[in-house]
Amino acid sequence: MNRELISQACNLRLNQIRERVMALDSGRFGEGGFFVTSIREVLRDTPEANSRLQCFSAPSQWSASGTDCLTALRVLALHGANTNSAEPYPAPERFLDQLRSKVVARETLFDLLVDRYVWPLNFSFAAEEPIREFLLMRLMVADRTRIENASAAAVDTDELMLKLNLLALHSGTTNDLRFLDALNYYYELLPATLFPESQNAWLMVSWLALYARALNSWS
Amino acid sequence: MRIGILANSLPAALPIYEEVRQVAGSEIFVLLLPATNQVNYRSLLRHAARFLLKPGRVRSLQLSWKRAVIPLRKSLQDAETITRLRALQLDVGLHKSGTIYRRETIESFRLGILNAHIGILPKYRGRSVMEWSLLQGDPTGISVFFIDEGIDTGERIVFSETVDVSRCQSLDEAKQYLFDQDARMYRRAIELLAGPNPEFQINDGSGHRYYVMSKLFQGVAEQCLVAQTSVCEDHRKNQLEDTD
Repeated sequence: MNRELISQACNLRLNQIRERVMALDSGRFGEGGFFVTSIREVLRDTPEANSRLQCFSAPSQWSASGTDCLTALRVLALHGANTNSAEPYPAPERFLDQLRSKVVARETLFDLLVDRYVWPLNFSFAAEEPIREFLLMRLMVADRTRIENASAAAVDTDELMLKLNLLALHSGTTNDLRFLDALNYYYELLPATLFPESQNAWLMVSWLALYARALNSWS
Repeated sequence: MRIGILANSLPAALPIYEEVRQVAGSEIFVLLLPATNQVNYRSLLRHAARFLLKPGRVRSLQLSWKRAVIPLRKSLQDAETITRLRALQLDVGLHKSGTIYRRETIESFRLGILNAHIGILPKYRGRSVMEWSLLQGDPTGISVFFIDEGIDTGERIVFSETVDVSRCQSLDEAKQYLFDQDARMYRRAIELLAGPNPEFQINDGSGHRYYVMSKLFQGVAEQCLVAQTSVCEDHRKNQLEDTD
């Protein structure tokens, strides 16, 4: 693997993300406006900000969360990971079946994912591999095709952004570049002017921040 | 061995036909798939256009005259097509179309349908595998394997061969170079299958499924290729100087 060339590319993309986030109008995000402003501070290209832009480690145990999935994502994007207590591991087989059933029924996966990943970094827990592969495949085949054939409006934006957030968390914990490249691909695919018409529009910003953390680990 | 080349056009199938017919005892048919699943006259028009516009017209006419070309009127999944394929009693199919095959179609061939995949299996399944190999510093190459209904998951790999693309100047050129090896690869696979006790490597699912690569990483993969090219050119120059 040519780490130096990959590092240069990641650095280039990291700077592009910085520019994109700096150009966002925080006023459009309603209650999420303060979060957007805070993320801008995190992504500033200064030695101090860069030292705080750490990526994550995969959890060695299924971890509890003191809050809900969406709040935890904002905390992770802003401050990085903290240490949580362990919880019993909910086996993935039934969850994978539930995801597949939702896909067949053309229903959103958003609630299922939010309920399972109350602590979002659990997505990187080793035994979650079948679920990671499933979401990666959905993003890079079905969702991608729909967006390329129509537009970003052809998919459930909240679900898409949540999946990208989870992938961004994982791509910072692994050497498997397929996950980071899925984020690269979506960064190029989605219009720079995209603004999700949703209460959770800030998920786009947390995705960019978590993506930046993953890139920083390679740059 | 009775062999069916599954192709969307005659010109696409011709190089494979010419290469594989050199294997002793082979009887080859070109199974011409309908260009669309809908209106048949449109499909015929498309075939006619490809026939007129691409080279190899005379050879195509000769094959048609020899009844080696079998136009399929309906899609590969259609019951009429399956019945027709079974009646042909083919041993092997050679994939040269953009189709994904269902089990009934695959089972219409005694041994199955071969695919010349431009990646080394089992490590590299899916898309952009040449680019991923370059990016990750692995050898590029081709694997000929019997397909199943999944994406490059067929269990029986006839063989894998590394192919040097370091003379190519771009990803597109390198990819085309690999695609152009398919006739030679199919011939080798048929020779192996026609031999006594052919053995298979097992596609054990140990690798990853890869997906279409971003422009950012394509740029990196191309730089990796160019770096290889430079090293090879330097090596060739040194060899020439040594010879002088």
